[in-house]
Amino acid sequence: MSESTLGRDTPQVNARSKVLGRALYAGDIQLPGMLHGKVLRSPHARARIRSIDTRAARALPGVKAVVTGDDAPGTRWGVSHKDRHILAKGQVRFCGEEVAAVAAVSEDIALDALDLIRVEYEEEPALLDPELALADGAAQVHAGHDNVSHRIRYHRGDVDAALAQAAVVHEARYSTHPQYAGYLEPMATVAMLDADGRLQVWASTQSVFLARARLAAALEWPVSRIRVTAPTVGGGFGAKIIEDANTLVAALLALRAGRPVRLVNSRIEDFLGSCSSLPERIDLALGMTREGLIVAKDVRILADCGAYSGLCAEVMHVSAMRSDNMHRLANVRCDATLAYTNNPPHGAFRGFGGTQMLFALNSHIDTMAGLLGLDPVEIHRRNAIGRGETSVHGWHIGSTGLQECMDQCTAAIGWAERRARPRGSGTLRRGVGMATAMHVSGNRTIGNWDGSTVVVKVNEDGRVVVHCAEGDMGQGAMTMLAQVVAHELDLPIDHVHVATPDTDVAPFCIGSLASRVTIVSGNAAIVAARRARDTLLEAASALLQAPAAELELAAGKVRVRADHARTRSLAEVVRQHIWRHGGEGVHVSGTWDAQTRMFDQDLMGNIAPGYSFAAQAVEVEVDTQTGQVRLLQSFVSDDCGKALNPMAVHGQSNGAAAQAVGWTLYEQMRYENGRLVNGNFADYTMPTAESLPELRSGIVESDEPNGPHGAKGASETAILPGAAAIANAVHHAIGVRIRDLPITPEKVLAALAGSGRTEPDHA
Amino acid sequence: MHEFDFLEPATLAEASRMADDLGDGVRFIAGGTALVLTLRQRMVRPSHLISLGRIDSLRGIDVGPDGGLRIGALTRHAEIAGHAHVRAHWPMLAGMAARLANPQVRNQGTIGGNLCYADPATDPPACLLALGARVVLASHRGTRELALEDFLVDYYETALGQDELLQEIRLPALPPGARGVYARFLRTAAEHRPLATVATVVQVEGDVCTRARIAVGAAVPVAQRLPSAEAELAGFAITRERIEHCAANAAATLSPLDDARGSADYRQAMVRVQLLRSLGDAFGLERT
Amino acid sequence: MGMHTLDLTVNGETVSTSVPARRLLADFLREDLHLTGTKRGCETGICGACTVLVDGQPLKSCLSLAVMASGCEVRTVEGLREGETLQRLQESFVRCAGLQCGYCTPGMLMSACALLEANPQPTADEVRAALGGNLCRCTGYTQIVESVLDAAGRRDGD
Repeated sequence: MSESTLGRDTPQVNARSKVLGRALYAGDIQLPGMLHGKVLRSPHARARIRSIDTRAARALPGVKAVVTGDDAPGTRWGVSHKDRHILAKGQVRFCGEEVAAVAAVSEDIALDALDLIRVEYEEEPALLDPELALADGAAQVHAGHDNVSHRIRYHRGDVDAALAQAAVVHEARYSTHPQYAGYLEPMATVAMLDADGRLQVWASTQSVFLARARLAAALEWPVSRIRVTAPTVGGGFGAKIIEDANTLVAALLALRAGRPVRLVNSRIEDFLGSCSSLPERIDLALGMTREGLIVAKDVRILADCGAYSGLCAEVMHVSAMRSDNMHRLANVRCDATLAYTNNPPHGAFRGFGGTQMLFALNSHIDTMAGLLGLDPVEIHRRNAIGRGETSVHGWHIGSTGLQECMDQCTAAIGWAERRARPRGSGTLRRGVGMATAMHVSGNRTIGNWDGSTVVVKVNEDGRVVVHCAEGDMGQGAMTMLAQVVAHELDLPIDHVHVATPDTDVAPFCIGSLASRVTIVSGNAAIVAARRARDTLLEAASALLQAPAAELELAAGKVRVRADHARTRSLAEVVRQHIWRHGGEGVHVSGTWDAQTRMFDQDLMGNIAPGYSFAAQAVEVEVDTQTGQVRLLQSFVSDDCGKALNPMAVHGQSNGAAAQAVGWTLYEQMRYENGRLVNGNFADYTMPTAESLPELRSGIVESDEPNGPHGAKGASETAILPGAAAIANAVHHAIGVRIRDLPITPEKVLAALAGSGRTEPDHA
Repeated sequence: MHEFDFLEPATLAEASRMADDLGDGVRFIAGGTALVLTLRQRMVRPSHLISLGRIDSLRGIDVGPDGGLRIGALTRHAEIAGHAHVRAHWPMLAGMAARLANPQVRNQGTIGGNLCYADPATDPPACLLALGARVVLASHRGTRELALEDFLVDYYETALGQDELLQEIRLPALPPGARGVYARFLRTAAEHRPLATVATVVQVEGDVCTRARIAVGAAVPVAQRLPSAEAELAGFAITRERIEHCAANAAATLSPLDDARGSADYRQAMVRVQLLRSLGDAFGLERT
Repeated sequence: MGMHTLDLTVNGETVSTSVPARRLLADFLREDLHLTGTKRGCETGICGACTVLVDGQPLKSCLSLAVMASGCEVRTVEGLREGETLQRLQESFVRCAGLQCGYCTPGMLMSACALLEANPQPTADEVRAALGGNLCRCTGYTQIVESVLDAAGRRDGD
């Protein structure tokens, strides 16, 4: 295939618009008569709203609409739990909850109007600790039921018997903190009622169809009166899937004002209004044989979803179950509880619950490696599930490159030599650590469907438009689709235009989550493109006077395979199709539905078409006088099945690794009485260019049978091992084990002081 | 932010008179990096901003006949960092200015604006204290000169009167052989603001320290000299034991800030660690 | 609280207008001149997505009032001039995956442009220092640094 870019470094198809500053993000959209929206948020974690006086705000010149909970429809919205209104009605459940909103002719006037809204609150004692929220007699976060948002329990085999027989049993408690998604583009929406009375919405979202459904539910409108388009989206990382109220408030203001409204979160509003990742306390017990084989795994999880559940149940589900499938387990038990509190809502973030559990599991394996006198890599190797096997929960492992990932990353950082290095006694001490991870590419558990549909149009100039609304927030989904279609039709990639996601035009889709788009939509794109090819060859058959079976596509033309001199351009062929088919152009769709199973009531079922794996090795240097941990080097190896675009995979791996470093060492959301106190980038410190070494990454291609050209997802898996790799490296360096993230200088110093002396070396 | 009027006087006297006439509701604005943030956060509501941008007498870096340095208040950090004479003769000052905040703020913020805003979590105060800085305050009534330690009164508070501007910073010439070390301690590599700043300027003859000036900032509400620590060094032979003792005692004398960015204990501990390292560097002792 | 006259050059073109004093330079560029390439990403002057060149120096347009740029020459990411540093950088960022979502990219390009104009052959560390005031959440910075070095004519740095 002469033109194909598959497997080659391919710049993003919309990179040019971005570097020229022409790409439009939602906050860049300017419409005639457009108003600017701002949201008034609760200063209290828990309170009754006694009254709201908006008269002064309404009277301010330039203010065109003021809305409160009384103006919002009664239907609750949410994910699996519909527990939320667009604007609070009668009570607020977290500090930052949306109470009122204003649309005015300028952002400054809208902010002035917010200052004029008088809300009378009756504060109530807030529930901020999930354990207290679950205690008997605790106040109810949502009236009418207890504070359990979700519970997961399962038991396979006989964990207690297996633990009793294990050569070594280790139990420990781990805790993880919430991470703010930190996309550079704050959540933003432009909403407008058009001349036909339909709501037109441009939203910074990972899923236009989920946004449309959310709007329809919350506004009590039929979905067909709503059109959602995604402009260029400036990052999402899971927090722009389905849990934000920004789009809903913008729509409510637009309907009330009768004019377009642009609602852009300021950064503090985004800290308050978006969901940070789910904090969890994990009690883990593993039993192993003397050779390091895991014979039993016992997990208890307590997670705090905050005031509204969002995607937290699904996230906790991943924490509970997913890592079981990495290893050959027979005996595993889990009891996980998700509690409501009056903390700001948590939700989905890259890794979707995997980072929390894999921090615990990989730290635990490292500890037990020490107890057994084994290299932790060896334990990971011996337990890793293999290709063709079925896991304890019924997952079919079609491909795995985990062994190669471990080989690659440990070699890259000089693992063996650095492990063998004696622990220093100076102020600065170095150590290495590694961790492994497993993730899904696709996930049927979200609604019992995991398919995608792609529409391919070939225009009368022989160029192509692709409609697929799965969503590109920078990870490169549009580029992947263009690559796949261009490959099938043997066209140069810039002859394939992937249209902006638009619910009026594109086929229904779930969106960019669960690392599903490459495998699910890539496959759908192949189906659609081949259907387009067949249609073109059929139409060309008459022109070339040869059966379609003897024709092929090559470099923008159709030709007779046996005689390349007999050709027609695609443009001619398309026009032929139009004339011969009553005006119908070449406009085909292809669907691919993962042949997976929703899990049954025992949580058994192969829920994804592919499973991705990763391993990471790092080296750190600990300053034993300051407690600071410096990352010296990091290498992430990602098994993505097949790298359709290596440059993009490396970008995802490096970006994911950076976020993991941030979560582990640099970022911490700080609260006082349920109020976030560091909701800004000066005080919530995400990694900067100077705070990271050159992050390195490698690709392993395990060739997934279900994947388009063997490809699986590559974007979340790489965030999963980082925290444990760093914690393990710190332990290697100074003999202290930090089980409670983040790893702060203060904790390191306290641990060093507490341990008195460093632990003896293990193999 | 709230509305205000923006005035652009051409001279210092004019600016000062405006401040007098308009009373409490005014703020001077230089580079704007700190003040614009405060305005955007709607924390202050000045009726007027008096821009100093047109007052050329506030610009420039000059060397006096005695070798002393005069830095106009409107001098940007990047200009200090890049100035050939400052780099050659006050490398500690140039180095500090080259690393504070981030490149954009270094191009935009001014040394005078930094000192007048008196945010403790910044670099210049401790560095300038250790260099013996004095400031000249000016108004339409005349000028007065203060030691920097008398200008920096408290947390976000200076000795500026209502109608006064900071005109320039003066540094005495450094004696030959003087060695200065400036260190900024960030709690993590991703932090944007120092948790502690330590500046030391020493002179030795043989292995005896003849002079020491030590200043600490960021960890405390207002940057301060450490005279007791200086007294432990000046006139003594410098050994590792002596500087360890000095650093420990110096840290113990502080009343550090305690807030979400760091506890008092940790700040105190880090001042001790950093001061020991800086003294070691200043005196040429090997790090352990 | 009236309007202030504002005369400046933006991307080589003279602009003569009047603005309220409280208008930020970032908002003036984005809303008044419709140059939306410059982005706003935070309120504490940290993220750097608003970085523009004023008289050749990178600064944060969200920390500057429009009136303070009077008489200055402002360059934004839209100030593409054939064959110049900015264009070389834009090509390198595309070629070397120096961007993903693209939101931080205009600011990164302006900071990198100022760096290369002052220091045509920077080391990787110098690139990281020059970009110390620009946050990226997507890339982990590795490919951004590679892009800048590529534009400087060297791929692997020192």
